Amino acid sequence: MSATKVAPILSTPDTHVFGDPTPFIDVQSLPKLSDEQLHSQYEIHRTINEITVGGWKRIALQFPDEMLVDAPRVFEALSHGLEDARKRRKISHSSSEDGIENHDSGRNLVNYMGKLGIASEDLPEKVYILADTSYGACCVDEIAAEHVDADVVVHYGRACLSPTSRLPVIYVFTSKALDLEATTDTFIQTYPERDKKIVLMADIPYSHHLQQLYGLLQDEGYTNIFAPSIIHDPSSLLPNRTVPNDIKQDADKLHPYSLFHISEPPTSLLLTLSSRFESIYIYPTNSSSAFSLPSTRPPSRNETTNPQPLAPATTTPLLRRRYALLCTLPSVPIIGILIGTLSVRAYLPALQRIRQLIADVGKKSYTVVVGKVNAAKVANFAEVGAWVVVGCWESGLVDMKSGEGGGGRYWRPMVTPFELEVAFRGEAQRVWGGEWKGGFEGVGEEKGMGGGEERDGGVEGEDDGDGGEDGDEDRDSGSEEESAPPEFDLRTGRYISSARPVEMSSNKASNRGTKRGNGHAANALIKRATGDVARIGGEASPGAEFLRSMRTWQGLGSDFEIGYQEDGATVEEGRKGLARGYTVGDDDLRK
Amino acid sequence: MVNFTVEEIRGLMDNPANIRNMSVIAHVDHGKSTLTDSLVQRAGIISAAKAGEARFTDTRPDEQERGVTIKSTAISLYATLKDAEDLKDIPVKTDKNDFLVNLIDSPGHVDFSSEVTAALRVTDGALVVVDTVEGVCVQTETVLRQALGERIKPVVIINKVDRALLELQVTKEDLYQNFSRVIESVNVVIATYFDKALGDVQVYPDKGTICFGSGLHGWAFTIRQFAARYSKKFGVDKNKLMERLWGDNYFNPATKKWTKSSQHEGKELERSFNSFILDPIFRIFGAVMNFKKDEIPKLLEKLEIKLSGDEKDLEGKQLLKVVMRKFLPAADALLEMMILHLPSPITAQKYRMETLYEGPPDDEAAIAIRDCDAKGTLMLYVSKMVPTSDKGRFYAFGRVFSGTVRSGLKVRIQGPNYTPGKKEDLFVKAIQRTILMMGRNIEPIEDVPAGNILGLVGIDQFLLKSGTLTTSETAHNLKVMKFSVSPVVQRSVEVKNANDLPKLVEGLKRLSKSDPCVLTYIAETGEHVVAGAGELHLEICLKDLEEDHAGVPLRISDPVVGYRETVQEESSMTALSKSPNKHNRLYLKAQPLDEDVAKDIEAGRIGPRDDFKARARILADEHGWDVTDARKIWCFGPDTTGANLLVDQTKAVQYLNEIKDSVVSGFQWATKEGPVAEEPMRSIRFNILDVTLHADAIHRGGGQIIPTARRALYAATLLASPGIQEPVYLCEIQVPEQAMGGIYGVLTRRRGHVFEENQRPGTPLFNVKSYLPVNESFGFTADLRSHTAGQAFPQMVFDHWQVLPGGSPLDKTTKPGQVVEETRKRKGIKPDVPGYENYYDKL
Repeated sequence: MSATKVAPILSTPDTHVFGDPTPFIDVQSLPKLSDEQLHSQYEIHRTINEITVGGWKRIALQFPDEMLVDAPRVFEALSHGLEDARKRRKISHSSSEDGIENHDSGRNLVNYMGKLGIASEDLPEKVYILADTSYGACCVDEIAAEHVDADVVVHYGRACLSPTSRLPVIYVFTSKALDLEATTDTFIQTYPERDKKIVLMADIPYSHHLQQLYGLLQDEGYTNIFAPSIIHDPSSLLPNRTVPNDIKQDADKLHPYSLFHISEPPTSLLLTLSSRFESIYIYPTNSSSAFSLPSTRPPSRNETTNPQPLAPATTTPLLRRRYALLCTLPSVPIIGILIGTLSVRAYLPALQRIRQLIADVGKKSYTVVVGKVNAAKVANFAEVGAWVVVGCWESGLVDMKSGEGGGGRYWRPMVTPFELEVAFRGEAQRVWGGEWKGGFEGVGEEKGMGGGEERDGGVEGEDDGDGGEDGDEDRDSGSEEESAPPEFDLRTGRYISSARPVEMSSNKASNRGTKRGNGHAANALIKRATGDVARIGGEASPGAEFLRSMRTWQGLGSDFEIGYQEDGATVEEGRKGLARGYTVGDDDLRK
Repeated sequence: MVNFTVEEIRGLMDNPANIRNMSVIAHVDHGKSTLTDSLVQRAGIISAAKAGEARFTDTRPDEQERGVTIKSTAISLYATLKDAEDLKDIPVKTDKNDFLVNLIDSPGHVDFSSEVTAALRVTDGALVVVDTVEGVCVQTETVLRQALGERIKPVVIINKVDRALLELQVTKEDLYQNFSRVIESVNVVIATYFDKALGDVQVYPDKGTICFGSGLHGWAFTIRQFAARYSKKFGVDKNKLMERLWGDNYFNPATKKWTKSSQHEGKELERSFNSFILDPIFRIFGAVMNFKKDEIPKLLEKLEIKLSGDEKDLEGKQLLKVVMRKFLPAADALLEMMILHLPSPITAQKYRMETLYEGPPDDEAAIAIRDCDAKGTLMLYVSKMVPTSDKGRFYAFGRVFSGTVRSGLKVRIQGPNYTPGKKEDLFVKAIQRTILMMGRNIEPIEDVPAGNILGLVGIDQFLLKSGTLTTSETAHNLKVMKFSVSPVVQRSVEVKNANDLPKLVEGLKRLSKSDPCVLTYIAETGEHVVAGAGELHLEICLKDLEEDHAGVPLRISDPVVGYRETVQEESSMTALSKSPNKHNRLYLKAQPLDEDVAKDIEAGRIGPRDDFKARARILADEHGWDVTDARKIWCFGPDTTGANLLVDQTKAVQYLNEIKDSVVSGFQWATKEGPVAEEPMRSIRFNILDVTLHADAIHRGGGQIIPTARRALYAATLLASPGIQEPVYLCEIQVPEQAMGGIYGVLTRRRGHVFEENQRPGTPLFNVKSYLPVNESFGFTADLRSHTAGQAFPQMVFDHWQVLPGGSPLDKTTKPGQVVEETRKRKGIKPDVPGYENYYDKL
């Protein structure tokens, strides 16, 4: 064993101080768009129209990271466009003020405001670029938009289309080109039978090609194709897509269908759909899709010249991995709830339900908001054993294995609310059959209206934890002292005794509460029995318990005092004497 | 007709001097269960006619069917010595001639060695059964070693003597020579594992610690028995005679004198053992098997054997059985040997205490154990779980080492991970019932005092496989058992019908409870994995799972082997990783850990709970470590106990203590799944060379350090020429000389290599010892049999880890590279191993 040859530098060089840990996107490599392309891709005209129709004055533009390069040009185009529109409007207004008014219902609002005395028409629209998204590029960042007091958000790029709660949104999907002929060829190769039941879907940037493709395929003789159109409903049977009428009534009718999906769908969509279709085929487009599954590699380049039938996409390995992930949950004492959205409608009630779910199984939950999730942020909470992400249905699924290069992998498992529910369903009912849901809709709602009432019950339980007045009549006095059996951890095949800290401690607390009576808690010293969970303000706090028992560093003492270095330096006599000349020991030698 | 009642047994329990706890251990097929039958028969539980065939202690249908013991089974028996005078020969003063023998029959197949370990823990003595013909085999050696490690005193029975007489037709002198060879090899093993506290426990026929017999025929004898017989006849002192009846002692009929030389005036003398002991036996065999009808009655009269009316009509083997059983009943010989020579709990616990108890040898619990004090603190060890007829519930099977346990007693249940003062793995629970285990039956019993073996009802949900029960708040654990086998073979199971998943999960839970060794878990890939010691073990476990524990149809994968990731050199350069915020840096190097150290860690000789100074001493003295380094071991991993070490070699780094926990967390994470194939790491030592930290605590929190530590460890591993370790079996094959060629062919094809080859003296059989990678062992037995015309019998037990040869695992063209790629594919991760650059940051 040799020591390092050269001592490493002990300080952080200044150049690194402002280093940015986020993965760097090479701007140069992105294609430069011509003005025309820019207009068509960012749908400048449609945007302007909608803005003027809506009469919105403060507009926030939200770009995903890879499109931020175009943001200034889009901004300029929009500002110019809006200005022109305003000028045109002025002219039309002055020429025939009342004439059009009644016909053009779109301007009702504007005029209404005008009549109220707000000279809105004269105010120029203000456009803002939102520099960074707080959670994910697919979600509308309402909070950031509210900082600039925006009336409307224009969202560019692919979107999860989760319903928003506060602001109106204009979605610009930034359509991408698709080789329709090649797609048709591949389609024909994949489905030789013409009467096969097929649902045709496309990732959002490609969805505008669908109608055209649908027509082409019908000409080829396919009779049972269904091409859904986009709606804003992630909880639909086909997320964000319309569903054929006959299937709407009976979800099982979707089963004989096969899915032909253009471009790689996000993992969560794939997982959601995998159990609902007979088979899934993915037509890869060589887009810079952020999602890629090992099972669905794009076919080789010469595919266009010689179309090959696609191999069905399989989600089984992925679902299995998710199963392994969620199986860690029952043995974990503390679960963190990570807020991945502040804009998706109804996230607050969902959060309540998730908290309740966790409390019902005797575990502790902590709610944490960290903005955009990365490994370093969540690893700061060492006491949390697993995370549940409350996010939109796409970003709620955090891929545990990705991000090796940048921030590194996640330390603790991260699951979706649906998976959390499955994990806590109890082993007797836990089935993992392929059904998978993203998002948090419906989680914890199984209990229906009872959820609220039960929560009340839970609060009462806590009350008697710190107050302890009602004694233990409701508990079997014989079994109080006895411990609850440990949890069998399926992941490791061992017994975990600390899986339900809250439940355990509330039992104990009530016992002690009766003994010492009421009101003494604050000013009396209590002996802490070994095996008690630490308490903060009378409430069991597994987090504090973790810090108390698991952390070796307790904060006080010298930084250099390390347990194993207790030998110390040998004591030697120091210098003594007057300042004009010190001596060592009896030595006359001056030093 | 059972000739004792539970009340009688309960009465005996209060007198530990009259208790013998013993297990029957041996190589597979040497006749343990059959021999146990003769003892069970003596207790009146099965009829004499059935003894030897019933295999009473083989309680499971498949055990009966296959003729192989799978689970160890306990039975309590009441016994008396035939001759009350013999009580004087017991080394400890004993007054009453009533004994309680708690007997555990254990499996012999190596795959079930963990059952043996569990049995040995609760007993004080062992009856080692050795086949006359086959001699000491690999498993005999293994179980003997285990027994001695637990400080269990052995006695030996040389079994299947009837085979030697009937099948091999050996002469008396040949038989004697055979006996002495077997005894010698037993003693060699015992001497190898000599333990000062236990004293010399080598076995000698003339001391009465060896017995000869036939379990199948139900007869056995010790030299002491014959000595007693002759001493009455000749009026000679029994003990003197005993010495004369073994070894080079000859009786000269001409001079009526004992001599040491085999010749007298040119005439060959017959060895005393042959003439006094073997002769009558040979004569009976000769007369009965050669149908010398006239000779038989004379012989019987001479030996004072009386036959009943219908027994006289028997012929051949049937008659032989009856005669031999009347002449030398096996139970007499065995009981005499056990009662006289095996220690009572009160004797045994004196020297066993320090190996049993984890805590200090002078605390309350330790003293109670030492004294086998029924009034002291309760110390009870649960060594295994026995399934009840009520599905999903188990009896906790164990031994009371001190105190008294009774129904309704509130006890502290301490799991294997319990540390005094902490709450982890600690439960308080009242015992519902205490019971007596009687083979396939149980008998309720009110309370059980120290020194006895028992079953407990109502604590099974608290202990997975084993644990300590106590009434003291300060008691430490009784030592966790170390098994000689490891679960190295894995198969994954899945349900055929998705709705059966809950049943499978429940079944897996039960399975892992019902077997001391099996491991069930969910792999990272989401598969339910069952890991066992060997193919047979897994087969039995999975059969149980499918038919009994889960009861649903299953799909079972092919067996796979778990690999380990290691390094073969020191890192070629210092691995540096920066935290996500770039303000903290870790400098690390990886280097291989000595195989001896890794083995010591795995065997529990070096562990995280040791005092760091004592540990440093061992590392410095035995393994050549630098003492300062040895004192600065931060942790073991994975799972805080694994065979990888993190050593702090930094000098005066500020805030180092503060990030220690985070680095340790990262270390546990990284060692659990290595960079090469996401398999656990093994035998790597990581040295932290330097650490640079940001001055503000907020910028060096867990979030910054944990992922960074993992990255740095990965980089260091990848820079240190990583290797893949595979488990290797020690494979011992018994084979006749003519079939040897076949063995070599099969072994070579399977990357095995022979390192030892011995002819067993006096037989045409060869003992071939070889190392065989576990991965190549699937179907090995069948393959071997087909190549040797069914003459070779392999016995495989996990021995060590070995680096998979053939090059770097990072190179896909090599064998290790392919293994890695395959594993990664199976796990659903990118098939390419990421380069170290992914984890390494430039300065």
